[in-house]
Amino acid sequence: MLKFIVRRFFLLLLTMFLVSIAVFLIVESSPGNVAKNVLGAFITPEQEASFLAQTGLDKPVYIRYLYWLIGSDWHGEMKMDMELQRITTEDDYLEWWALREDGSLVRWKLEGDDLFATVKSPDGKVRTELDNDRWTTNDQGISTFWGVDHQNHVVKWEKGTDEKVWTFIAGSGWMETSGGPTRYIPLKKGFIRGDPGVSLRTGRPVSKSIFIRLRNSLVLAGIAFVIVMPLALFLGIIAGLKEGSFKDRFLSISGMMFSVIPEFATGIFLILIFSYWLNLLPGATVFGELAPWQRPDMLILPVLTLTLIELGYVLRITRSSMAEVMRAPYIRTAFLKGLPYWRVVFRHAVRNALIAPITVIMLHVNWLMGGIVIVEVVFGYPGLGQYLLNSALYKDINALEAGTMIMVLIAVGTQLIADIIYTFLNPRIRYS
Amino acid sequence: MTSTEQTADTASLPPERTGFFKNLKNGLSVLLSSKTASVGLVIVLFWVIVALFAPLLSPYSPTEQDWRAPNQGPTLKHPLGTDELGRDLWSRLIYGARVVLIVLPISDQVWFPIGTAIWGVIASLLFGASLGLLSGYRGGWMDEIIMRLLDAMMSIPIILLYLIIVTAMGASALNVVIAIAIVGTPGVARLVRSLTLDIRTRDYIRAAETRGESTLYIMFVEILPNAKGPIIIDAMLRVGYAIFAMGTLGFLGLGLPPPSPDWGSMVAKGREFILSGSPWAALWPSIAIASLVVGLNLLADGLREETMRYQ
Repeated sequence: MLKFIVRRFFLLLLTMFLVSIAVFLIVESSPGNVAKNVLGAFITPEQEASFLAQTGLDKPVYIRYLYWLIGSDWHGEMKMDMELQRITTEDDYLEWWALREDGSLVRWKLEGDDLFATVKSPDGKVRTELDNDRWTTNDQGISTFWGVDHQNHVVKWEKGTDEKVWTFIAGSGWMETSGGPTRYIPLKKGFIRGDPGVSLRTGRPVSKSIFIRLRNSLVLAGIAFVIVMPLALFLGIIAGLKEGSFKDRFLSISGMMFSVIPEFATGIFLILIFSYWLNLLPGATVFGELAPWQRPDMLILPVLTLTLIELGYVLRITRSSMAEVMRAPYIRTAFLKGLPYWRVVFRHAVRNALIAPITVIMLHVNWLMGGIVIVEVVFGYPGLGQYLLNSALYKDINALEAGTMIMVLIAVGTQLIADIIYTFLNPRIRYS
Repeated sequence: MTSTEQTADTASLPPERTGFFKNLKNGLSVLLSSKTASVGLVIVLFWVIVALFAPLLSPYSPTEQDWRAPNQGPTLKHPLGTDELGRDLWSRLIYGARVVLIVLPISDQVWFPIGTAIWGVIASLLFGASLGLLSGYRGGWMDEIIMRLLDAMMSIPIILLYLIIVTAMGASALNVVIAIAIVGTPGVARLVRSLTLDIRTRDYIRAAETRGESTLYIMFVEILPNAKGPIIIDAMLRVGYAIFAMGTLGFLGLGLPPPSPDWGSMVAKGREFILSGSPWAALWPSIAIASLVVGLNLLADGLREETMRYQ
């Protein structure tokens, strides 16, 4: 058993690894230009080049993948020959600084030919000083310096080149500055060290927004799950008790209808009925800064949509499993022994009939996630699915990778859990 | 050797043909004896006929705009109303059915017969069956590699696959076909593999091997035709999934590019105008896709039930 779990766990990691590579390659080869997506269609080639260099997007794809996976600070440290440190400021910004021998942190800025160091001592005081001793001159007579700039890159400055830099500041537009570096390494810790990078679309660290989105999605899925499970198992048992009866036909056909109609159509029907014609419930979700549970009325329709879809599916599985058990010889024996009807149903049939649905439900999580993405889009719900869709359309690679990894983890993880539960429920199965 | 084979082949042809028609007749009678299947058949036939004769059934083209009459409810002039650009919803609806079931638009001028959703299923059958046959018949390391890769693919959430594939390739009918095919392939491959594992132990396979037939011949001529029953029922359900997928992709803005009539994108666009008082543009395509998918499933369900009863 343990061996089985360990093997499956490695398979999970392998799947995530392969998927992350696939996503990188696919986004790489896809049409569309991320710089134009972020900055608008009317940027000049110089502005585009500057943007690509600053975000590290001009590097070959394998380097970007490596940076994404294990971070880039080690590369920066190699170039600079100094240790780098990531700190969180009081305003909750992440900043990278180089560590000096005396324990103070330092970053640099180039003005003309002069290098200015911003030094932050351990007691929190910040001062600026001229730091021209750091230049190293190579045999062609060019003075260069690898250092940390103020925008979290390790950069290479060259004396005399005075590169122009375009920085896009939301709200105020383009800012052209001189004293730019010739090479950039954008600093990050890398996915496996818990830093999925900065979203190109929002300019915020992915880890900041994605967990709120994930929480919202889990709230939605959780509520739907809690409603669906007992209801579907109950109705499925009712339907499966007597195969071919009117109850059975009614429940299984309506269950089938709800489960095969696309989520967006169900959602539209519910919006039209409850919010357009009856005017009872809001047809869209607008939370602003609120958490979803603070506006429960807005949750009703999305949850109802998900419930209807999942209900049909689980109901049908339970029904067929129940019907099969009711045909089994040991049930007939129990009846012939003269046991009361409900006792046979509950003590003998239901227990055996629930093995299949419980595991199938876990496997169904994969499908449920698709449903959640659509429901989120239909109702404008700020969940992980919508985040993922927007990131994919935007080619926002860091956000897309992080969202993808979470989804794969959930999907494959639940499959693993389903297998484990199955071995406990069904003593006939042994992995060895 | 070859001459005996040829005679065997020609001798076996006529009974096969009558067998096919007998099958068809049997199938129809099975279909009509089930109430669910007949209801499904009526719904599906309605959409097929409407899609087939779409140009005759509406005076408007699906892209013809009437800026004087945007977002209207049903009127005599426009039986189902108009959308936000004043396009006739009925013609957009039936041309939408045409794209799903009858034609695969490649560009403005070029189109293939047979609908986008159905091409998706055909392509997934093609890839899936080849992989499944190879995996099941050859076995060994090839089986191991193919199945592990397909397992990994199946464990990825479907919606994610669609998202990534279509955003990577851009929105077009052909890319929707490719997306449906890629997502459907692992399921078909698993089914075909399990059928192959069973069939390859039969005597006629042993006989073919002894005759010295090539692997390809055994796979596609000996095994595949003998596995077709379950594959066909599975394919019918897959058409339902494919229409579902097409609608979903269209709804997410990943379907057919804008002016073309696409049910999913019609809903997505119409959704924006529900709260401003014109629900029709979102309502009709939702009903259309729901009824078609339900019809297909009723048909497949009824068929499966009836065939099981006969067995």
